[in-house]
Amino acid sequence: MPDSGYPWPISTTRLDNGLRVVVSEDRTAPAVAVNLWYDVGSRHEPTGQTGFAHLFEHLMFEGSTHVAKTEHMKLVQGAGGSLNATTNPDRTNYFETVPAEHLELALWLEADRMGGLVPALTQETLDNQRDVVKNERRQRYENVRYGDAWLRLLPLLYPPGHPYHHATIGSMADLNAADLATFQAFHQTYYAPNNAVLTVVGDTTVDEVVTLAEKYFGGIPPRPEIPPAPDGRVVPATGVPVEETVVTDVPAPRVYVAHRTHPFGSPGYDVVTVLATVLGSGRGSRLYQRLADGERIAQPDLVGAYGVDLAHAPAPLIATATARPGVSGERLAAGLAEVVDELATVPVTAAELDRAKALLTTAWWRQMSTVDGRADALSRYATQFGDPATLAERLPAWLAVTAEQIAEVAADTLAADNRATLTYLPEENQ
Amino acid sequence: MSASSERPSVTLIADRPGPGAARPYRFPQVVRRSVAGGEVVAAHLPGQNLAVAMLLLDAGAGREPVGREGLGGVLAKALEEGTTQRDATAYALAIEALGTELVTGLDWDTFQASVQVPVGRLGAAVELLAEAVRTPRLDPDDVRRVRDDEVTALRMDWANPGPRADAALRADLFGAGNRWGRPMYGDPDSVAGLDVEDVTVFHSEWFIRPGTLVVAGDLDRLDLDALAATAFAGTGGGPVDRGAPIDVPVRAGRRIILVDRPGSVQSTLRLGHPGPHRAHPDHVPIALAGTVLGGAFTSRLNHLIREVRGYTYGIRGDFGSSRRFGRFAVSSGVQTAVTAPALVEAVGEIARTQAGGVTEDELAVARSWRAGQLSVELQSPRAIAGALSTLVVHDLPDDYHARLREELLAAEVAQVSAAAETHLRPESLTLVVEGDAAVIRDELVATGLGELVDHPPAG
Repeated sequence: MPDSGYPWPISTTRLDNGLRVVVSEDRTAPAVAVNLWYDVGSRHEPTGQTGFAHLFEHLMFEGSTHVAKTEHMKLVQGAGGSLNATTNPDRTNYFETVPAEHLELALWLEADRMGGLVPALTQETLDNQRDVVKNERRQRYENVRYGDAWLRLLPLLYPPGHPYHHATIGSMADLNAADLATFQAFHQTYYAPNNAVLTVVGDTTVDEVVTLAEKYFGGIPPRPEIPPAPDGRVVPATGVPVEETVVTDVPAPRVYVAHRTHPFGSPGYDVVTVLATVLGSGRGSRLYQRLADGERIAQPDLVGAYGVDLAHAPAPLIATATARPGVSGERLAAGLAEVVDELATVPVTAAELDRAKALLTTAWWRQMSTVDGRADALSRYATQFGDPATLAERLPAWLAVTAEQIAEVAADTLAADNRATLTYLPEENQ
Repeated sequence: MSASSERPSVTLIADRPGPGAARPYRFPQVVRRSVAGGEVVAAHLPGQNLAVAMLLLDAGAGREPVGREGLGGVLAKALEEGTTQRDATAYALAIEALGTELVTGLDWDTFQASVQVPVGRLGAAVELLAEAVRTPRLDPDDVRRVRDDEVTALRMDWANPGPRADAALRADLFGAGNRWGRPMYGDPDSVAGLDVEDVTVFHSEWFIRPGTLVVAGDLDRLDLDALAATAFAGTGGGPVDRGAPIDVPVRAGRRIILVDRPGSVQSTLRLGHPGPHRAHPDHVPIALAGTVLGGAFTSRLNHLIREVRGYTYGIRGDFGSSRRFGRFAVSSGVQTAVTAPALVEAVGEIARTQAGGVTEDELAVARSWRAGQLSVELQSPRAIAGALSTLVVHDLPDDYHARLREELLAAEVAQVSAAAETHLRPESLTLVVEGDAAVIRDELVATGLGELVDHPPAG
């Protein structure tokens, strides 16, 4: 069992303006990963402004005080880099991996859009990126079979007003109503150095990064009061199972069983992570063995379970299966529920536990095998738990989970009266 | 330095920094060995905790008989339904207890089976890999069930936008009478037509030849000879001729193929024409021309169709090639209402690139991006194993990646523009549109881009 999930050095410095700078040196390859987490996500969006955090992420690529429209991508790719950004309920992250000699360019670009986005933001840019995001919504959620499952599950799991009630992609109506002033205010409110973590991993030194960070980010003032998102940590149990059935143009019945568990980063969620792997990762998992192989009611490629790693409220655990031809949605739902229920009643064996821990160990080292994977993880732990070094504790924590803890967490959080079930049925079933 | 208006005290550095001193590029040290009748190609990744082993077999989709598309995919799934030593459940538990699944993959040129584990477990993982690949049980009932599941999985996949359009494009480019004119993974009907014997014969013909074992990991902690002895145990038969490049005729005029998808909120676009095979001497300038036109976020197509017009979430195009054939293809999903203008503009951009070539500014971005990606993307053992498999499949030398980097950086505008002029065929494009035919048909005809033909509905 390893003592640490992070055998590389970590250094954290806080600039005067509150920006936390995390550096992890690794000279193996001539590349550096630059990663920024801003502590703002869709959980901060008020009613009527869903999708704004994500649309804003798009605007961050459209130019800033010293970077012309479309130049950001061109400069990073022209330096040989890979770049992207993502938004989720918790946070927004921006990242690029570049050949090491272009580190300074990457920091200049990130600083310019942290401090100077608003003067460059135009109505034309907003309109264009709104169209791009609406196309993203069509492509990823509307034009794909079962594509809106996540959009439907969230409101089943979290009540109105809860920060996770709505999906990050937002609604078309809210996106249509978005005006320029709102986005200018959004940047001024949340894109402040004291609301961000900058992580650099790879072929560099702590001194180089801190000096450059001071040079490029040092002139951006902190914002004194950043409004917090609504508190979602307590979600009252209703004691009533929630069910939704969607009859639509899908090729086979599919069922999702979802539960609120524990926030990512808590001991309870470590147990959920191992539990999810026992339940639904790989051909040796309970769902595969019972539904795809044993009873043969589920399609083998489409059965699984996973936790969604959200840190600011009880995070979802989702189990899903899709029916083999001739199997009804009802039978599939009953089979899926039974396997989930048994996590509390049928003890996890030593072999099941070892299998899950071995798969998680590989998954861990896979993320750590690239500088960008490490940078994102360090930014996460610095942002969400205040100390990037706590990253090293996660793998040992998973490996310490016991069968008794799994049964306990299953009994506490996976009860049928605390369950959301989403079922898709093909139209001819009606 | 300048100050912006919204926060009076913001101070940003105006001058864009130039690059620091370039670090030397290095691809990991490559080790090649012949062991027990097979070949080993390995990369040394000192200090890396994870290791990958990948067995490459000359059993790609190109080896499947016409009418038997999807055979390799069914066999790949059947490998995990038990071996001569243990049943399916015992196999799953044994391999997953090491921390890996058996990952299989298939392209036109090869079949790949791989494992990824903490380095100390690679020997045990390769034993299980070899057990499944060399000695699967292939019980007839299991094979039939796997085949039926695969049919169902393909039906699920083909219910989404994309696969039907891809198949229509491929058939029009390469001819549905040829294996390479049919979907790489087959379609629901071709897989439904497979029987047990197809699978067992394909296995005995192609899966017990030694092949090549690719290893990426800390070689100080690995015994390559032992890994190879395991991977090649019980194998026989030599390499088989892999066939010469195929001369694919190019269409005389453009045409539109309309694949109906009633009620679709987007139209799926697949545009293409035949292109050079992988060993063509223009490979590097062709790749760069493809990058300028459609290979990067900043490419011409994405800039115009996404960033300027807002028609799509993304559009990309590239030259793709295998050992025996290649194609140029563009793919996108655009909102239904702008299908016709998006198509017209995409074709226009391809024609403009063919006629006018690339600019130095564009090429500067493309060449440094492609070169830089070699250091940025080739980090993980999985990525390195993929790079090694390129060496194996295309008979390339150990220093291929280093030389590729030099060639990319040295490419000149004239050379890349000439490649665009020679290898882009805007007048020969097949334009496949999968969308709501009732809404878009008239507009597509009115574009005058080419005759419109209807694709038969999915069986």
